[in-house]
Order: sequence, then C-alpha cells, then structure tokens
Amino acid sequence: MAIKLRKFSRSKVTKFIAFTLTVLLITLVMVQMNYIYNSNINPEAIFVKDYSKSDSYIYGELSRAINQVHFHILNDTDSIKPEPEYLYHITDGTITKRNEYLDKILEHKDYLYKYSGSTWEYGENAYKNIQNHVMDKYTLHLVFPEEYLQQKQKEWDIERDKLIPIALTLIIAVIVGIICVIYLIVVTGRRPEDDEVHLTPYMDRIYSDIQLGIMLFTLYMWLYGIASLFRHYSIDSSRGVLSMNQYYILTMTGILAILGSIICGVILLSLVRKIKAKRLLKHSLIYAVFAGISRFIRSFFDDSRFEHFPLTKSLNRRQAIFTAASAGMVFLLLLFWAATQNFFAGLIPIFAEIVIIYWYFYENKKTFEEINQGFRESVQEQMKSERMKVDLVTNVSHDLKTPLTSIISYVDLLSKEELTESARDYVNILADKSGRLKNIVSDLFDLAKSTSGNLPLDMENLDLRKLIEQTLGDMEDDIEKSDIRIKTSLTETPVFIYSDGKKLYRVFQNIIGNALKYSLSGTRVFIDMEMIDNKNVYVIVKNTASYDMDFTAEDVLQRFTRGDESRASEGSGLGLSIAESFTWACGGRFRVEIDGDQFKVRLEFPVIE
Amino acid sequence: MDSAKILVADDDREIAGAIEKLLVREGYEVVKAYNGMEALDALVSNQVQLIILDIMMPKLDGLSTMMKIRDSKNIPIILLSAKSEDSDKILGLSMGADDYVTKPFNPQELVARVRSQLRRYLQLGDKDSASSQSKLIIGGLCLDAEKAELTVDGEPVKLTAKEFKILEFLMRNAGCVFSAEQIYERVWQETAYSVENTVMVHIRRIREKIEINPKEPKYLKVVWGIGYKIEKIF
Repeated sequence: MAIKLRKFSRSKVTKFIAFTLTVLLITLVMVQMNYIYNSNINPEAIFVKDYSKSDSYIYGELSRAINQVHFHILNDTDSIKPEPEYLYHITDGTITKRNEYLDKILEHKDYLYKYSGSTWEYGENAYKNIQNHVMDKYTLHLVFPEEYLQQKQKEWDIERDKLIPIALTLIIAVIVGIICVIYLIVVTGRRPEDDEVHLTPYMDRIYSDIQLGIMLFTLYMWLYGIASLFRHYSIDSSRGVLSMNQYYILTMTGILAILGSIICGVILLSLVRKIKAKRLLKHSLIYAVFAGISRFIRSFFDDSRFEHFPLTKSLNRRQAIFTAASAGMVFLLLLFWAATQNFFAGLIPIFAEIVIIYWYFYENKKTFEEINQGFRESVQEQMKSERMKVDLVTNVSHDLKTPLTSIISYVDLLSKEELTESARDYVNILADKSGRLKNIVSDLFDLAKSTSGNLPLDMENLDLRKLIEQTLGDMEDDIEKSDIRIKTSLTETPVFIYSDGKKLYRVFQNIIGNALKYSLSGTRVFIDMEMIDNKNVYVIVKNTASYDMDFTAEDVLQRFTRGDESRASEGSGLGLSIAESFTWACGGRFRVEIDGDQFKVRLEFPVIE
Repeated sequence: MDSAKILVADDDREIAGAIEKLLVREGYEVVKAYNGMEALDALVSNQVQLIILDIMMPKLDGLSTMMKIRDSKNIPIILLSAKSEDSDKILGLSMGADDYVTKPFNPQELVARVRSQLRRYLQLGDKDSASSQSKLIIGGLCLDAEKAELTVDGEPVKLTAKEFKILEFLMRNAGCVFSAEQIYERVWQETAYSVENTVMVHIRRIREKIEINPKEPKYLKVVWGIGYKIEKIF
C-alpha cells in the first residue's frame, strides 16, 4: 500500500494545485446550483424529455387544476382566480361550474380528462394515470389545450438545452472534486523524501477538538449563509435573465463557498494528518486537560524520587494518603449533612478523621526517629573518617620527615669531613637535592591538608592592596636579581577582605615567584587590581612565558595529580597548586588563563562592605 | 661558654647521633636520651645548660617531659618536632619552650639557635637586667636607646639610623601592630604617601640582621595585609 501511495506526487506544488482546484470546484458547484435555483429553471427538464409526461405537468399543473376545479364546485365559489390555462366543465346535475362550453371542450378530445361514474377516461394523448380524488357525484371534463402544451413543450426544450451542459459540468465537477479531496487526504502529511507523517508547524499545533469545533461552526455558518441566499430573491425572475440582485447573490455565494471550503479544507486536512500520525486524540484540549489533571493528582503519589530512601518514601506516601483521606472526610461530612440533615451523621467522618490523624502522627514519629538515628550514625561515620584523614596526613608527614631529617643532618656532617674533590661534588649534590626534597615534602603536606579541608585558618579583616605591596616588598631581592620588572596597577583605596593573611602571602608569593621564574627575560609582569562591582575585587597577574606553553590551564593546576614531568628545576612544582588550593580555602576564586604566550592568573575575593 | 653541656632527647637514634656530632664539632658536650624518662634521668646525673627535646617520643612525650623539667629548672629548651603547624609552635612556646625547630631542620640553623639560646642564658645569668632603664629587652633583643646600640643574644648588631628607629618604635610598643604609614610618619617625620614598599624593605633588612632564620622570624613579624609588629617575648 505504502509503495503504491508513493506513486502520487507529494510535492507542495501538486498539493497546492489540488487544494485550489477543490476549492474552485466546490465554489463552482455552489454557484451553479444557486444559479439554477435563481434562474427558476426546473431541473426536471434534464430527466424528462416530454413536458406532458413530466412531474411538473402532472403534479404541478394537471393535478392542481383538478383540485382547483373540485374545490371550486365544492365550495361553490364564483370563479377560479387567476384565469386558468385549462378548460373545464364540472357538474353534479344541478350545479355546473365551467369556463367553457362542453361542446368546445370536447373538440380537444385527444387531450381530454373525463371523470364520471367514479372512473377516469382519458383522451388519446392524455396522461392516463390520475390519482386525484373527486366526489363520485360529479362529472368532470378538463382539458389543457394542445396549443398551450406545445407552447409549454417549447419552453421545456429551451430549459433542457440550457440545463444539460450545466448538469454535465456539475457532475464532472463533483467527481473531480471528490478525486481531489481523496488525493489530498492520501498525500497530506507526506513528503517526497520519506514515508513519515509530518505535521505542519502552526496549523497542527491547534488542539484537535478546537479545530473540529471551528470546522463544524464554519460549516454550519456556511450552509446557513448559502441557504439564506437561496431563500431570498429567488422568485420574481424572468427565466434566463438574471437581475442585479441575483448577480449579487451569486457573487456572495461564490465568496462564501471559497472562504468556507478553504477553512474547512485546511482543518479537515490537518485532522487527517493527525489521524495518520495517530495524534488526533492525544492532541486535543480535552485530552490535555485530563492528562494535566491526572499528572497533577499522580504527582502527589509519585515517590520515584525517594526510590533509594525507604524512610522518606514511606513519609511521602503517608502524607499523600493522609491528605487525600482528610479531603475525602471533609467531602463525606458535607455529603452526610446534606443527605441526612442530621447533625449526628456528621460525627462518623469526624471520628474517622481523628483515627487518620492519630495514625499519621504516630507512624510519622516512628519514621522521624529512624531518620534521626540514621543521620546521627552517618555524622559519626563522617567525623570518624575525617579524623582518620587528618591522622593519616600527620602520621605520613612524621614518617617522611624523620628520615629526611637524618639525611640532611648527616649530609651536613659529611660535608665537613675531609673529602676528595669528587666526593665533595657528590655531597654538594646530595645537600642540594635533600634540600629540595625537604621543600617538596613540606609543600606536599600543605597541599594535602588544604585540599582535604583540614587547613587551619586564621581569618581576619585585612587590606588586600597592602598585602600585595608587602609581598612585593618582601620579594624585592628576588625581583631585583631577575631582569623582570613588575608593573602594578592597584586600587586607590584600601580594599578590605576577610581572609587569612599568612596563607594569602603564600598565594601571592607563589604566583609572583612563578611569574619571575618563567617569564621571558626583559619582559614585565603586570599586577592589576580592580573592583568590578562593589562586591568583588579582582587581582590579575599577567606575564609573558619564556617557553612554549603546550598545556592547558587545567594541566598547570593538575600537574601533580596527573603525574606530569615537572618543568621546575627548583622548588616543588606545586607552587600554583598550593596557591589555588589556599585561595579557595581563604574564600577566594582562582583561575588560570593561557592566551598564546601570555600566562594569566586571576584571583577574585568578596569584599567586606 | 666553652664546653656547655647539652641534653639531646630524640627517639630516633640517628637524628640524636647527628645532632650530637654537630654540637660536638661546635665544641659542646652532649648527653643523649631516647625518650622522656631517660631525659629526666639524664638531667639528674648531669649538669646541663640546654635541652633539645623531640616532641613525639615514646614513654613520655616531649611536652610532658618539658613540663616536668620546668618544675625545677629554668634552662633553655629547644623543642624539635615534625609538627609544623603554627598552633603546634604556639602550644610548645606557651608551655615553656624557648624555641621551636621543625623537622627537617637546617643543621646550621639549629646550631645557631643553640648558640643564641646559650649565650642569652649564660649572659642573662651574669648580668643585672635592671641596670639600665633606657634598655629595651625583648627575648634576646637588647636595645639601648641612649647609646644607640642593639645586641642580639649579647652579640652587637649594626643597624642604620632608620632601621634603629623603626626597631625602637616597634619594641617600645611590643605586641602592637602598626601600619606602614604609621611607622613612616613616626620614623621619617613626613606625611606618608605610598610607603608600603619602603617600610617593607626596611623591615626585611632588619629581619636579616636580627633573626636567625629571616623566613621564619621570631621577633619582627609581618601581619599580612595589616602591618608590622615585634612579638612580645619575655
């Protein structure tokens, strides 16, 4: 089926043409039907060739004529108004009503209708199956003269000539229209490139039931509007020629047909697409409202979030049951009072509510106690592991420092012995490296303590600007020894922050020391300090690296944990990591940025108001 | 001063041995002990002028040993420990230690500290400290404002005029923290403007002259982000 369907063109152009064609055909059918109606053309002329055999003649003229004449004699009225096209003579022996003498009527005997003795007699060319009831006592002679019938037949033929082409076009239009509609229904939502059902962005976002409502309302208004156009102005028209009013009506019919069919067509196709995509019901306002209400109600009972926490899960469930039951009891109370008009009937839900409240609080209390117990245990567990961590750092620190002390001491003693030249070189190397090891161990434990959150802090209000100036003064010797110049741009006024001065001194010492060590000779190190807002102060230390920085900002700080080969030939290589860790511990933020050859450390601290 | 007797107490025999050799080379006599109890016993049988005491020792730890010693003796005690936290140092010093050296230590620094402690102890022993009112004494620092002289543990130290004035000002107000501006205005007698660096450089120079380890100053301290002070030591 799907393969066969693919044969139809699904391109937008074809769809558009089919849609336009359908709209035009519907309009054409409506306008033509209205035209037929307004033109007073009798549609029967298409089906019956002979006027004298048509229903219009038999029921419209003949049958009416017989009834008129019958009525005329029964009520003994003076005459039939207006002047009838037929000739008649009716009598019961005493009263006679006629518009022509009997002998004159009998001249048209081929077209004569005679009723006497409760039977009908017909002329040769007359219609031979009259069903009209006439009282038995009457004798009736009635004739439509041949000239009149011929005149009628002539008009009948003109109408027939006019109607047949209209009828044919109508039939074709209806057939083509139906084909177009079927085509559109088949291809809508499909695209040339695949077999999926695609919903149209804006149209299909409207809820199905709203669409259906709009469509039915439009259809109703449309039919009502067209019907009212059919009703008015349809009389007073001479055959074949239309009045101005009628042209107006036809135009209105056309416009209405176009608008109505476009609106209904677009909505219909949208609904069809939704049916194809199996979204018709799901995408309705009613569904959405019910789904929303159901979600809302279910959310009370949803405890998936507490899946791994049985205690909170039972609390949540109990709360939901309690709330629902209490609400139910209020409802029941009102219902009981309303139904029985009896005060005491209301005591039943009240009593039930008391039982529910007792159950709720009693069970919750037990659960809370269990939660408290668990909480207490986990806190104790945490404290224990925290203590173990501190002990670990302290013990490992002691175990490393003790042998190191021996090494350094004996290397020192060794260096004072009488030694050969090469032995002295070796001892110097040992002294140098053991000194470095001492620094690394010391830095390592500072870092370990700081990252494990066990760094003792001595927090106080201090002036960050002063601290930077003091650090620079303290490092003046190192700065002067290097060929790097420091350029500072500090704030005009003191900036107070709440921090640990000694630790921050380490931070700036490490950052500036780092900058001095790794800057390209002859360049400058910039230390900028600024307040962006009144809440935070930023310190940015920038330097131009003397080597290719083929690492990222993260690498610099994770050098140690990543086990990268340290580029430091002196010191521990942990300077920046310590600076970072201390900064965070002191309540600041620390970020490293690398931009080409520029190495930038950016510190941020909250300012005291 | 020659052949002062020093007690070295450390449970690590190699460290005790190394310290012994270091000090013997400097001309001191050394008695070793490997725990607190031994140290106390050694004190009974020896006339000791200074004690180097490890804190973490079996049987009786260094701090307890020190408290027992302090019950009867006033000789200088240098604590030796792998614990390097400020809080440990403060605890040790406040319990009666005269100095605190962290492991691993620089042997030369330890020797310098031993020498400094001994000099002070022995000199203070002979001298009448109340002899001069114009003298400011803080720990081993002795500043004579009239004579414009400074001795550290009895050793004369040369300071420039500004350095001397700064030190005098700070020593007169020992324990108080002063900002660079305050120090500048007192010492230079000028309005301070952007003087942090000037003062800091002077402070550093003074430190290099009076401190055994200028990186871990005992007397002249920087209060980072606030100012400078001389520690109040008796």
